[in-house]
Amino acid sequence: MNLKAFNRALWVYHMNTGSCNGCDIEILAVLTPRYDVERFGIKLVGSPRHADVLLVTGPVGRSMEDSVKRVYAQVPDPKVVIVVGNCGAEGDVFHEAYSLVGPVDQIIPVDVYVHGCPPRPEAIIHGVVMAWAKLEKLAKQEVV
Amino acid sequence: MSIIGYGYAVWAPLIWIVALAVIGVMVLIWRNRGQKSYKKGTAQTDIFLSGAKVPPEEQRHVKSENIYWGFFESLKELYDALMKPHTGIVNDYLLWFVAVLAIAIPILVLAV
Repeated sequence: MNLKAFNRALWVYHMNTGSCNGCDIEILAVLTPRYDVERFGIKLVGSPRHADVLLVTGPVGRSMEDSVKRVYAQVPDPKVVIVVGNCGAEGDVFHEAYSLVGPVDQIIPVDVYVHGCPPRPEAIIHGVVMAWAKLEKLAKQEVV
Repeated sequence: MSIIGYGYAVWAPLIWIVALAVIGVMVLIWRNRGQKSYKKGTAQTDIFLSGAKVPPEEQRHVKSENIYWGFFESLKELYDALMKPHTGIVNDYLLWFVAVLAIAIPILVLAV
């Protein structure tokens, strides 16, 4: 991947919208010495205002709907959204639950889906790389 | 330039001013290298409160007494004892005044 337009480190804001923490643990595994994505500049940040990527886990409970919209709106452009896990992607076993308004793409636009329950760290890294490529395209469009 | 030495420290105002100016310039340069793609006037410049709705400004004011919370909490028993006699009624305060005088004057007279 030849990065030209988006040539800075990729900062990710992770949002849990009702996940069981399975996906969240795998996301943390991505940061451990075995995978260590921080060596590529990919790191989690504490505020969406610092982020390039919004990473969402969980099927979006009713009480989280406004928060998801608000956090998405607070990420500066260009931005991409990654959904990690089956719950966020299509609701998984909770898809008919009365308390859900998700999956995530019913609330905000999603760019990359990483399936799995939970997905392996390799799959999450692949998703982040795809998100980075999309961000590169968006950044180029903004430059032009 | 006058430098005042205290034996264990040095106070030289010009050095401090120059150092602060240098630090200020460095901070400004660092700040200018930050993210510029924000859209001003949109949610992208709103306060981030973990995704929760930010209350109006008058409701998110942190009072100065909040920083003394631990202090008041640990001395709660003392404050409760001190606050009990404070009824807010002037007659009660005058009564306290008279009572303290009634005890203090004989002690002072006897002591002299």
